[in-house]
Amino acid sequence: MNELIQQIVDGLGRGGIYALIALGIAVIFGVMHLVNFAHGELITVSAYSAYGLFQAGWNWWFIVPAVILIAGMTSVVIEFLAFRWVRGAPDFTMLMTSFGIHFVVQALFVMYVSANFRQFPRPDWIFNTVKIAGISFEVFDIAVIFFTLLTLIGTFWILQKTMFGISLRAAAEDFDAARLMGVRSDRIIRGAFALSGVLAGVAAVFWLMRSGQAGPTAGLTPMLKGVLAALIGGLGSLGGAVLGGVALGLVEVMLISRLPEGLVGLTDGIVFLLIAFLFVFRPQGFISVRRAERV
Amino acid sequence: MSKEYFHSRLFTLVGPILIFAVLVCGGLLYASFGGSARDGLITQMLINAIIVLGIQIYVGNTGVLSFGHIGFGAIAGYAFAICAISPTRKNSQIPDAPFGLSGIDLTPFQSVLVSILLTVIVAFIIGLGLARSGARSGSVAATVITLALLFVVHEVAKNWIDLTRGGKTGLSFSPLGNATLQGRGWIYIALLFAIITARLFKETRLGRLAQAAREDDLAARAVGIDPAVQQMISLLLSVTLVSIGASLRVFELGSINPRLFFFKFTLLTLTMLIVGGRNSVTGAVVGVVIITAGSEFTRYLAGPSVDVAALDWILRSGLTDIFLGASMLGFMIFKPAGLLGDWELDKWLKKFLPEKTNAEAVKDRVENNQERSHQSLNVEGVVVDFGGFRALDRAEIRAGTDEVVGLIGPNGAGKTTLLNVITGVVDCSEGYLKINGKSIEGLQPHMIARAGLVRTFQNLRLFHLLSVRENIEVARLASPDANNRLETVAIEELLHITGLDELRNRRAGELDYGNARRLELARAAAANPVFLLLDEPTSGMSDHESEAMIHQVRSVASLIGAGVVVIDHDLNFITGICDRVYVLDQGRLISTGSPEEISLDEKVRAAYLGSS
Repeated sequence: MNELIQQIVDGLGRGGIYALIALGIAVIFGVMHLVNFAHGELITVSAYSAYGLFQAGWNWWFIVPAVILIAGMTSVVIEFLAFRWVRGAPDFTMLMTSFGIHFVVQALFVMYVSANFRQFPRPDWIFNTVKIAGISFEVFDIAVIFFTLLTLIGTFWILQKTMFGISLRAAAEDFDAARLMGVRSDRIIRGAFALSGVLAGVAAVFWLMRSGQAGPTAGLTPMLKGVLAALIGGLGSLGGAVLGGVALGLVEVMLISRLPEGLVGLTDGIVFLLIAFLFVFRPQGFISVRRAERV
Repeated sequence: MSKEYFHSRLFTLVGPILIFAVLVCGGLLYASFGGSARDGLITQMLINAIIVLGIQIYVGNTGVLSFGHIGFGAIAGYAFAICAISPTRKNSQIPDAPFGLSGIDLTPFQSVLVSILLTVIVAFIIGLGLARSGARSGSVAATVITLALLFVVHEVAKNWIDLTRGGKTGLSFSPLGNATLQGRGWIYIALLFAIITARLFKETRLGRLAQAAREDDLAARAVGIDPAVQQMISLLLSVTLVSIGASLRVFELGSINPRLFFFKFTLLTLTMLIVGGRNSVTGAVVGVVIITAGSEFTRYLAGPSVDVAALDWILRSGLTDIFLGASMLGFMIFKPAGLLGDWELDKWLKKFLPEKTNAEAVKDRVENNQERSHQSLNVEGVVVDFGGFRALDRAEIRAGTDEVVGLIGPNGAGKTTLLNVITGVVDCSEGYLKINGKSIEGLQPHMIARAGLVRTFQNLRLFHLLSVRENIEVARLASPDANNRLETVAIEELLHITGLDELRNRRAGELDYGNARRLELARAAAANPVFLLLDEPTSGMSDHESEAMIHQVRSVASLIGAGVVVIDHDLNFITGICDRVYVLDQGRLISTGSPEEISLDEKVRAAYLGSS
């Protein structure tokens, strides 16, 4: 029993990070109908920023807000440089564009920093454990869960209560109608990218605290997990993305702790396989957003 | 007719053969001026061309973005290596291989066959999954499934050490890992095969139906195409070429490891395909040449032989990756169709041949006015709810093949919804749908089309990239009684009736509104339905045009011997064309009768004027 609770907390910790990434992907899908495979580049950029700031002698307390800010700005810049041009393009073009950005950013880091991974110190408290009711938990997991909840509450407050959030939800529901009602599409899209960048920044902070390294492909795994989580939840459904992230985290932890010794290396492969099966039978994800096409 | 058809197909071969000749001669010429490094480069380029052509067959014809083809390549590559490496060598590298694989000893040729077989089986299973997920042009679920394949294969190759020797070392044919493939004979044969297969497939019935579904999934289903079948066959054929290419790649390098068929190679091959133009076979080959040359050039610039201090910030390693990524991104943003779009060398050359006149085609004209026995469409008691809103409340409509039936009503009356129910786009919660007493409820749209109900779309869903004539041909090909030979006559007749004669080679996407509407009519008719269902065929037309449409619809219907159900707002058109009219209001049938009777009906007037 204790072990199960430990695993659930561990899974929620992992899943929280995925949820933040997935939420950012879902926000952009809502306004642009784009599945952003370049979302992971925000984490790559965050990783190198953290590395750079460490070199400059900063410590984690200052790096955290800096990384979040940089991720948000990078997201807006990427929109401005690339995605702006393919708004409303066929799905194939948008998918390919996001992969193009992924490859270009990766190549830029190979070119100007290094193809090798760079290490930076992890905060010293992340391996600490606390005992609550006789069960020991990692402090890190609890911190992740706490701050993820905080971020999610903040995000949903923005979406529910602010003018920007309401326009964004309207645009996600029916972009053309929202535009006809006077919602400024430029601003909404840029705002969505900023929001999604900030969410990626928060996720990046936790991801980096755990991995403690920066490399050109640092964003690949979190991006894939995020896209999968968003898809599991049903693209475009913001709540679904969060649920998808948490579900993915839990499944991973359960698999790791239950798989036989030789197969643990295949965890990601098995998760992929399970998800591929999910799409085969429920291509619209768990929560299907009815997107009735007018014919 | 069949001879002519054969000749036109034969001419299609001119393109692939010329492309092959230019590619090989150019390569040999380039290699002859340099050392063995250039030789190796050309060999690699030819092999990559085979793989890219393989990917083109799937991605180009179906529009589904696949990241999995290099995953298939990995499966094929390992299958080939494990079969072809000599048993003694295998015993030292993978002595514990399962199923006694370390003992088998096959020739390279046999090994390629095994690798194709294995990969095609895997592809078949993946293809079933893709079909189940509703793959269509640009669909994300399909892309993620293929991406998952790429990763899963990679993970397995890295971790199944007994079979693959793991990620660090990989398998090799000889201790030094030297190249094993002597000469390029096999590469030439495979390449020629690949170019011809890809080019011919594009022109086959299957290929063209796949392209139609790529352009508009729903419209393709509406004329009776089931995209899943086309996609599966494209996938299997495509994977066959990829397997051949991957085996050659492994054999040429003399070794294989998981990195050989992963993200980097995926990026390379996809960029080649996209830069040249994914819908064109000529384009795929052009893309391979351009990207190979570009990569080589950037590698040279970034290398030690060019040393310009002022440009040091750009001439450094990683330049090639930037070149690839930027090419992909740049083309997607500025020229998403690639350099050549869907241009083909042989199609272009054909323009210089004297064109066959229409008179010749009309000469052996058959009496096409098919004498069909009377058939009936019965729709009764249809109920549809959208959430809490009852869009249709026991709506009904009856039609026979000898009449034109109108369906009118104010906006929001449920006319299009009823048409959507009849064609299987929307499900109804209650009601009967019968054609000649045979129930068609719950059938998929393409099955309904094959049962004889073909529709047009209010908001125009043509196959944009296909020409006017091709739009009609595809519908003809999709109809169940079509054989591979096109019935030129019927198509000519349709073009003539709808006045699209002179626009036949225009792309459908370039047509103005009126012509696009007429093409929708011609395309639906070409599927040879029992009933033509027209959704606002005169919307956006001038009075003059819609008057002409009365005659056009009647002529088309009598040509194919079909009944017509038509929705429209233009009362002149409706009275001019219909034998009988049904009036819907708020989802209910409020009146039915001849156009004259309807125009005198108080209830109808009330519904239109909004008073009660």
